[in-house]
Amino acid sequence: MRALHPFTLIGIAVALPALAWLLPPPWGGAGAMTLALALCAVGGRGAGSGVLRAAVLTAAPFWFFLFLLHGVGGMAATGLRLTTMIASFLWLIAVLPPGRLVEAMVAAGWPAGAAFLLSATLSAVPALRERARNIVDAQRCRGLHTRGGPRARIAALRALALPLVLSALHEVDERALALETRGFSGSARRTPLEPPSDPAAERVLRWALLLGLVGLLAWRIA
Amino acid sequence: MSALTLEGVTYRYPATRAPALAEVSLTLERGEVMGVIGNTGAGASTLLLVAADLVPRVLGGELTGTVTRAGRGALLLPTPWTQVSGMAFTVQHEVAFGPANLGWPRERIAAAVHRALERVDAVHLEERDPATLSGGELQRVILAGILAMQPDVLLLDEPTAELDPGGALAVWRLVRELAAEGTAVMVATSDLDALPDASDRVVWLAGGRVRALGPTRTVLADEALWSDQQGGPGSTAVAGVWRRAGLPGPLPLTVAAALERVP
Amino acid sequence: MSAALAFENVSYDYAGRPALAGVSFAIAPGERVALVGRNGAGKSTLLRLVTGLLRPATGSVSVGDWNAAERRPDELARRVGSLFQHADQQLFARTVAEDVAFGPRVTGIPAPEAERRVQRALESLGLMEVAAEHPYDLPPPWRKLAALAGALALEPMLLVLDEPTAGLDRRARARVAEALGKRADGGTALLVVTHDLGFAAETLERALVLEQGRLARDAPLGPLLADGVWLERQGLVSPPLAQLSQSLGLPGGPVREAEVADALIQRCST
Repeated sequence: MRALHPFTLIGIAVALPALAWLLPPPWGGAGAMTLALALCAVGGRGAGSGVLRAAVLTAAPFWFFLFLLHGVGGMAATGLRLTTMIASFLWLIAVLPPGRLVEAMVAAGWPAGAAFLLSATLSAVPALRERARNIVDAQRCRGLHTRGGPRARIAALRALALPLVLSALHEVDERALALETRGFSGSARRTPLEPPSDPAAERVLRWALLLGLVGLLAWRIA
Repeated sequence: MSALTLEGVTYRYPATRAPALAEVSLTLERGEVMGVIGNTGAGASTLLLVAADLVPRVLGGELTGTVTRAGRGALLLPTPWTQVSGMAFTVQHEVAFGPANLGWPRERIAAAVHRALERVDAVHLEERDPATLSGGELQRVILAGILAMQPDVLLLDEPTAELDPGGALAVWRLVRELAAEGTAVMVATSDLDALPDASDRVVWLAGGRVRALGPTRTVLADEALWSDQQGGPGSTAVAGVWRRAGLPGPLPLTVAAALERVP
Repeated sequence: MSAALAFENVSYDYAGRPALAGVSFAIAPGERVALVGRNGAGKSTLLRLVTGLLRPATGSVSVGDWNAAERRPDELARRVGSLFQHADQQLFARTVAEDVAFGPRVTGIPAPEAERRVQRALESLGLMEVAAEHPYDLPPPWRKLAALAGALALEPMLLVLDEPTAGLDRRARARVAEALGKRADGGTALLVVTHDLGFAAETLERALVLEQGRLARDAPLGPLLADGVWLERQGLVSPPLAQLSQSLGLPGGPVREAEVADALIQRCST
């Protein structure tokens, strides 16, 4: 799965939620969602179930709120679509290393800035998670209670969220300097180091997906 | 022609009244190592940013005076984890980031990357994910990334902060090697003990101004480094103990120099 | 009187790999101990066991009369003040003083007493002049000092610090050395991971050396600083004053600046 070209992977991750939205509910949505969850189950590197679990846990609260707002029917329709979207996105993050995506974009001629923006967003997640863990540890060792009633937890949130945001924001300047000094925004065309291979079959698949979705959209509107 | 020349440079960060650098003039020659010393906030990091053409270009602010450069410069910042590109999942690609941005052909990049990793003794880390490296390992990898760009002017801001003393020694040796090959090196450091052997000249910054500039052995032997009213950066440990003992004569900077003076 | 910190035959594994094996030592109140070892030798694991972030697989960790395995980190914070790598990332309050007060406040120290401890901590590190500033307006080395002040303000019986002087200039290093020395004189035990051997020579007296998870040496620090062979194996270098002391054969092998200075005066006046 990881050997697929990054654009193909993105194509699939976009197509599934689109299918969930375009196909008639609830069976269309259910089908797309099942596919997306199945991808999650086999996707993660040695931790397939981790991705699946993350998808289910992230989606669960939404189902609850939807039930409160719309009752069973509304819950099912929108819940399936949301879950497909969440699952597709999490699967994409698990199978697509940002570096590979950037290589693909650079090889395809995208401007470096756009490539960076996307990859930085994707790679920021594990880095921030690591930092959040460090901050939780540090604050606990200063005496912060991380259990207890809702009021205690909300108070704890400030001591955990604020340092995360402040320290991350504060580094933005330094990161910009570091990238700049390594020629990032220079005028030279960036050399792709290891452009992912893009077999014809995959390119055909992407076009097929695109045409299929457009066709489906046209059919639904008509 | 000098590798780098600053004439009367004054720089203010955006929305700041007090200048971070005031009337700084100096030249850096090819093949020379210049140490930058001073208390925190005295302007050493800012001086390197100006030399690297990063301010005011990236951060804004106001610069007066002239800066002339011959060739390309690159700056190593003190905190390795903010310098990771976020776009490489192997050390090899991380080090290749700079050369790739310069648009070099693949063979040249591969050779430069390998050489750089050899020089910082990190070839064994080649296939590792940069996110899994320790602080010291990461600092060496980022340094390799800068070296792989083969800059004419190498600017280092506290390059040994994350390293153990063995690793730090290796960096100072490398600095000397690079200078011998013609690179101009400017390094800001609080490791003053390393400077007598590692540097040719030293500039002492205080409050953004050049307080002293000259051969290392002259500047570091200056009493004023210790007795300055705002509290100077001091000098080497050997100079410190000699001064504390109230022994006569100019302050020796190294153990070897002190041994020659003691019966 | 019980030890400030005691490890008895402690082991810990990370994913099947032994990070610590059979480590035993005790630190008395007021003792100043350096924790030394290469990367991966187990230093961070050891610190995390002391603060309660990890529980030992075998053996016991005691902080005073508490069994650390039975306490949560936030409880242990009443007895253990810690400073980890990236400590400056933990700051979040509007002013330095407020951030330093966070620990005392949250561990339940009454307000007037907490205030007193905060002032004392700020003064000892020379942070009074910036007490009202926003932490992120300070340069990174000063943020680290602010985090250290936070640990001092807990006035714990034990301080565990990871590279407290990395990145600091001479004055700041001297302030840290002085502040820690005073605390130790007052009975606080110090366990400091450091490869700044100049600082260690001035402030610490005993060395615990970890090699691949085992406690390889537990010895006075001074003589170790002169042992070039052993130092090299640890990736360390003898600090200049220890080198000077050894080369001149100064009596007693002093390594602290004051003592080396005295010995030099003696030597030069004969």
